[in-house]
Amino acid sequence: MRVAINIISAYKVYAERKIEDLQEKRIVPKMIVRRRLTRSAKIMLYLADKCGFKDGKIVYASAYGELQAAAGITDAILNNSPISPTLFQNSVYNSAPSYFSMLNGDKDEIITISSGMKSSLDALKTASLQALVSGEKVLCVSIECLDIDRIEEVNLCTKYLESGACVVLEIAENEQDAKEIQEYEESGIIESLQDLMRVVNMSKKGFNKVFVEL
Amino acid sequence: MAFINSYESCSCAGNTQELMNAIYSKSTKITLDTSYIKECSVGLGKMKNSDFFEVLNNTTDKVLKKSNLKNFNDSLLIVGSSIGGMKASEKHYFKDNNYKNIDHSKHAISVIQDFLNDKFNFLYTRSISTACTSSGNALLLAKRLIDIGAYKNILVVGADSLCYTTVCGFHALGVLSSKPCTPFDKDREGMNVAEAVAVVLLQDSSYKSNVELLGVGASSDACHMTNPDPKAKGAISSMQKAIQDAGIGLCDVDYINAHGTGTLANDRVEALAIQTLFKNTPVSSTKAVTGHTLGASSLLEGIISCEVIKQNKLPPQTGLLDAENQNINTIKETVQREISFVLSNSFAFGGNNISLVIGVRK
Repeated sequence: MRVAINIISAYKVYAERKIEDLQEKRIVPKMIVRRRLTRSAKIMLYLADKCGFKDGKIVYASAYGELQAAAGITDAILNNSPISPTLFQNSVYNSAPSYFSMLNGDKDEIITISSGMKSSLDALKTASLQALVSGEKVLCVSIECLDIDRIEEVNLCTKYLESGACVVLEIAENEQDAKEIQEYEESGIIESLQDLMRVVNMSKKGFNKVFVEL
Repeated sequence: MAFINSYESCSCAGNTQELMNAIYSKSTKITLDTSYIKECSVGLGKMKNSDFFEVLNNTTDKVLKKSNLKNFNDSLLIVGSSIGGMKASEKHYFKDNNYKNIDHSKHAISVIQDFLNDKFNFLYTRSISTACTSSGNALLLAKRLIDIGAYKNILVVGADSLCYTTVCGFHALGVLSSKPCTPFDKDREGMNVAEAVAVVLLQDSSYKSNVELLGVGASSDACHMTNPDPKAKGAISSMQKAIQDAGIGLCDVDYINAHGTGTLANDRVEALAIQTLFKNTPVSSTKAVTGHTLGASSLLEGIISCEVIKQNKLPPQTGLLDAENQNINTIKETVQREISFVLSNSFAFGGNNISLVIGVRK
């Protein structure tokens, strides 16, 4: 089944190592809260802010989840060091959207997709389904944060270690002028993010109605 | 309509039939273990077969054989898992102290969908990871996709294996029990981490079964990363939504399969949520038998709910001596009675809540 979606807002961000100026102090004024956030959570808060999304259903995607927290835990186990409870609670794949929900008082549904290299495509499908069944606007966001110590031991092809793409979407009233997802990928970005990047780039070029296969 | 036509599971209690026997005889299958945490004994739910992927393959194959499908070529696969391939990555990392021999594609959550797709060749696959509600969210998506007619057959898999990260991580949070967990008991110590594979075939028409996934409800606490909202608003909301989605009333629910991890915080808040909505509906947590199977738990308990309906037998609360909350009907013995609707709860880190209504329409 195919649906046409309207892209209401779209944003992307990426950097070779660390994305600068995520406007954390403005978005999360309380330092005690800010200190607990993962990099993915900070990027998600920034992207949602840029897209003007504060409340509603969220579909989040990441192929590798919270690598920094996961690596910290395995390091602690290997070195017989105590595991930080904060690190463990931050290690789940849904921690970024959960922080968003806590900071914004968003009590709606959160679904986290992790489908390997097609994570952002599956997130787009899932967000479109959520929009279809609810009739609401849905935030679809995909983030990868690979900037951990010794990542070069496994990373052979991704240039940008931190990257994120985000759209707010709704079901279109009709299919008129809707387009298939175009090949507007970003070179050097991890494959898991490319489908959503393409949609963001389509939006930047003025194509704001897209077909999605559920 | 989403019919639950075929299912199978494997947990520390064995296959589904063995699991139900253990539940009805109040026989916990949690074993005490000292291999994960030095100088500390914790209760864990370990599967007999330590080859997780062999269990995954065999359990899925059994579901296919029990179904009316020749293969899964026109089926969507939705996997719910919180661990994915972490166990294999840990093994390499602890041996090498570097990442060089870690296959990134086998580390990710998607390793399970990729393995099953290689074996069974699905039409499409996708994976969900929302910690302990992963397979519950997989069911939620599956039901909605079937309801709108997008797919006729969806295989939902919940699968998580034991690994150091989760056992040691929950230990760091101070929520592990040194004995088999005793949900809802005044003197409960905490939870037991466990592993399981649960597989369910949802279809748009019935085949040898009239049990349906009737309702799904989801919410977020928007409160705390690990502790539930003390006022239980998120849990209440997910249960209300599931019941509303099912088109039944609160008084129609015959049994509640609680999330009931055995931790102080979860059981107190979940009991408050149940007390707020229900008068005398029987409640128990089968985690006293299986342990907490994390991302697989929603689906494993969904299968238990199907069996409860088919057998018309309420599962007793294993390990319960003195209930903390006397305002909920935590049942201590197996009761035979007609059961039409079961409500099953799952709650996760990040305040992610899922409730399912499984039942038979009259």
